Amino acid sequence: MRNADDMTDPKRNTQAAPSRSVVRAMIGATVPVLLVVQLLASAGVEASSFWSQIRQLDARIARTAESRAELIAEPLWKMRYDQVTSVLNEIMHDETIAAAAVYDDTGVAIARVVARPADQAVSEVSRPIGYSNGNIAVQAGRIAIAYSYATVYADTGSRLMLLLVVGLLATLATVVAMRISANIFIGKPLAAIMSAIQRSKQDGRAYPADIKSSNEFGQLARAFNAMQLTTSGALDRLGHMAAHDPLTGLPNRRSLSEHLVTLSRDAGSPDSLIAFCFIDLDDFKGINDTFGHDAGDKFLVHISERLRDAVEPQDWVARLGGDEFVVIRPEVSNEATAQAFARQLLDAISEPIRLHDKQVVPRASIGLAVRRAGDPELSHLPALADIALYHAKSKAPGTVAVLDEALQRDYRRRRDLELAIPAGFAEGQFEVWYQSQVDLESQAVVGLEALIRWRHPELGLIGPGEFLPLIERSGNNARLTRYVLTDACRALQRLASAGRPHIRIAINLPPSELADHSLAAELRATCARFDVAASLLELEITEGSLINNIASASETLHRLRRLGATIALDDFGTGYSSLAHLRRFPLDKVKIDKAFISEIPASAEDKAIVGVIASLAGTLGLTLVAEGIERAEQAEAMREMGVTLGQGYFYQRPQPLDAVLQWLEKQAAPESHVLADSPSLAPEFAA
Amino acid sequence: MTVVLRIMLAVGMAFGVLMPVGGAVAADAGRLNIVFVNPGKTGEVYWDMVAQTMQAAGRKLNAHVEVLTSERNYRTMQELGLGVVARADKPDFLILSNEESAAVPILEAAEAAGVKTVLLSNTLIGDDAARLGPPRQKLKTWLGDITTDLQTAGARMANALIATARAEKWQSPDGKIHILGVGGDEITPSSIARNAGLQLAVAAAPDVVVDRMLFANWTQSEAEQVTMNYLSWATRKGIRPAGVWAGNDPMALGAIKAISTAGLVPGQDIQVVGLNWSEDALRAIRAGRLLLTDGGHFLLGGWSIVLLRDYADGCDFAATSPHVEVKTSAITSTNLVSVGDLIKNRAFDRIDFTRFKAKVGRCGQYDFSIDALISSLAPLEGAAE
Repeated sequence: MRNADDMTDPKRNTQAAPSRSVVRAMIGATVPVLLVVQLLASAGVEASSFWSQIRQLDARIARTAESRAELIAEPLWKMRYDQVTSVLNEIMHDETIAAAAVYDDTGVAIARVVARPADQAVSEVSRPIGYSNGNIAVQAGRIAIAYSYATVYADTGSRLMLLLVVGLLATLATVVAMRISANIFIGKPLAAIMSAIQRSKQDGRAYPADIKSSNEFGQLARAFNAMQLTTSGALDRLGHMAAHDPLTGLPNRRSLSEHLVTLSRDAGSPDSLIAFCFIDLDDFKGINDTFGHDAGDKFLVHISERLRDAVEPQDWVARLGGDEFVVIRPEVSNEATAQAFARQLLDAISEPIRLHDKQVVPRASIGLAVRRAGDPELSHLPALADIALYHAKSKAPGTVAVLDEALQRDYRRRRDLELAIPAGFAEGQFEVWYQSQVDLESQAVVGLEALIRWRHPELGLIGPGEFLPLIERSGNNARLTRYVLTDACRALQRLASAGRPHIRIAINLPPSELADHSLAAELRATCARFDVAASLLELEITEGSLINNIASASETLHRLRRLGATIALDDFGTGYSSLAHLRRFPLDKVKIDKAFISEIPASAEDKAIVGVIASLAGTLGLTLVAEGIERAEQAEAMREMGVTLGQGYFYQRPQPLDAVLQWLEKQAAPESHVLADSPSLAPEFAA
Repeated sequence: MTVVLRIMLAVGMAFGVLMPVGGAVAADAGRLNIVFVNPGKTGEVYWDMVAQTMQAAGRKLNAHVEVLTSERNYRTMQELGLGVVARADKPDFLILSNEESAAVPILEAAEAAGVKTVLLSNTLIGDDAARLGPPRQKLKTWLGDITTDLQTAGARMANALIATARAEKWQSPDGKIHILGVGGDEITPSSIARNAGLQLAVAAAPDVVVDRMLFANWTQSEAEQVTMNYLSWATRKGIRPAGVWAGNDPMALGAIKAISTAGLVPGQDIQVVGLNWSEDALRAIRAGRLLLTDGGHFLLGGWSIVLLRDYADGCDFAATSPHVEVKTSAITSTNLVSVGDLIKNRAFDRIDFTRFKAKVGRCGQYDFSIDALISSLAPLEGAAE
């Protein structure tokens, strides 16, 4: 790992080019040894050569003396002393000889030659001169030669110098040769491998090192290339995995952006239209829950296969994750054909599938966005299609929603609002309004429902139906709940001080809060802070929140009830309307959805339903609340059917607390049923 | 005119070519044509005198002697000899001297051309002698040789020295008579013969030692040098030198000079002998510095003409031997007067060579002694004065 780090560091790279350092180390290790060995060897050779030269010189001079003795013998014996001298003179050409002399048998020097003054070490050799002819053999005299080793010394010195120079040159040549060969045999292959590694690092592909030799570096390079090949395969697989969904084998979200770039680049003309279908399976969670995850996976594979089958070769299918698919048709003639194509996809998806011997009919919603290939914001296509999909899912699941200006406007408004949520909290733009719950028998106000409103500085008053999903999506549910809880507790305080201590306040709990075990503790703490009884609080929940998290919800509800708070089931009749829920959860109230109230008393069926609910509630000991009462006959009908409480414009529209208090003040007067002159908000949201 | 000359020339040539080997005999008492290729240099005393005695004899014996001088160059000598052999008008006889064995090619060419040859002073030696054999066998035209007995001369010279030394009691402290020999060279037959004479004489005299046999290339100066060296050495050795034997007169004179230089008196403290009968030697004898000079062998020139005259007249010397060896003689203070003028003036015409011709029936038997010579001499003009 460290090595890799080193290599990435360019400064260290240049400093430690591997070939150079290896070569330097090699040269550093070998050259001094080489030099020393060379110098020692040449010195040794020269020393032995010196001694051998000395011996040779001795022998040569001795030979000279002997040969001269032979030559001189006759002229000496025959007393041709001039010849003796000239023979002696001849040897003086030998520059090692300093002097020579010939003595006759009486010991007198017959001839004497001195070449040069002997200032150096001088050695002398003397040989007898024997003369013989057929008759006699006598010693005619003696020859003596004095000679100097100076030339040997000088020769040895100059040769030593020469050897030194040659040794140095040889060392230099060796260094150069080592450098060159090391660069060829070590530096180049290392550089080739390094370059392969660098290139591989740069663009993530495995490049082979280009080395042909069969030596160790060739073997190393082959091993490296084999490793590169393995790495390359792994990288390719990794790349494929990174770009594809392992379950369906379709390209994944990562591939999408790349594909969009490719699309704009490869488009025939900038004006050709690209159809982008964002597909989301409806209720895929239900399938997972019902049939298990394996079946869910199988289901997704089925869907992917169908999409593949349904498209043309030029089309592109991807799975973005979960139950989201994307189909892109790179060229459509107009928006209508794009829409037809999207519907075609829906039809293909909607073919029944057998899961665990059960026929399942898949359903999906499609958000369709069509854009020109030259659109500079082509990369926003997924987001734009998502806007359409959002619309489809929220407004008409199982259909195709085409992105248009209105949808974009809605999207922008939603986005703006979502972005404004933190400011909304910080600047207290959220307001809690209250709507009264009236005892249908006594016409007395027994409770208030806290309803949230957003007074946006630019967009004005915004209903909860629009912004609550945004609150939930942005994770601000808990904050808003506490905001409302605090406001409700303050309201209870004011009610008490206004002489209405028995009026209770109902708060809507979003599903996510039911899973929050700290809610009960916080509720108690808040009640304590405002010195109000928790029993004055009612918590309204929807069936949906119960279904998603039965155990946790039940636990939270029990805790809240232990504090004295009551639990009301909101919007009953519209959702699952499970009778089991009524039995299983600790409920105190059931609020009948206004959808059943609005047609009463005209609709006999609604009256029947309400009647059944009322009798069921009565049997289970649950208090019934009718929502959305707008007319007196509706209130009368409810009362007759045994519904205990009523809520609606007939009594009072939701108002800020001050207005409610004033209204209650007036209610204290005998004339009742005066409608509050609060601003109307239609439709009424009872989230 | 030219026609007549041509006819004469043609007749002459035909006569010369067709004349058989023995034809000369028929030309009894006819004038002989003799060519001598002289190996020496002009001015070289011995060879000049050889040629002069040859010519003097020719004049007495009706022979024309043509002398060609080689100037001591053996190549020149060969060219001259071969040139003579190749002549259209070939001589009757060609006299050569086999110095350095250089005469052999000429001898062979002469054989091929049918020219009769005589070797003078130096005959065939060594391989040549073995290869070509004696005269008139392989080489039919090689009639023979005439040489001097130099070994006897050498011995005679040594004995004269020894006798004087013994008489004067010039023994050294070791009781022996110490002599120095100064030879001309070690290779030429004439030198070897003289030296051998010295050795022979000394070998016969147990009281005599030749301290050194030195060689001085026949020259006076070298002889002087080596003699000086010897004398100096002898002094150091405590030797009393009794005599110097010199191979020729110049060397004897060189020795005399060295002796004088060494502070000795030649003739009184030490004796010197020489060979050649040279004028300077005769002067030295007269002055008492030289004991004797042996020689007279320059007379070989004259004697060779006597032989050829006899041969041409039908008295072939080969009847005795094809090798004619002439004894030399010593000139001492006693006989100096008789031959002094002959040598000094080279008055060889005083010699009556006809008196030396072989007697009838005794072909090849000659008396060339100094006494015969002296008695043959014509009276000296004005000798009475």
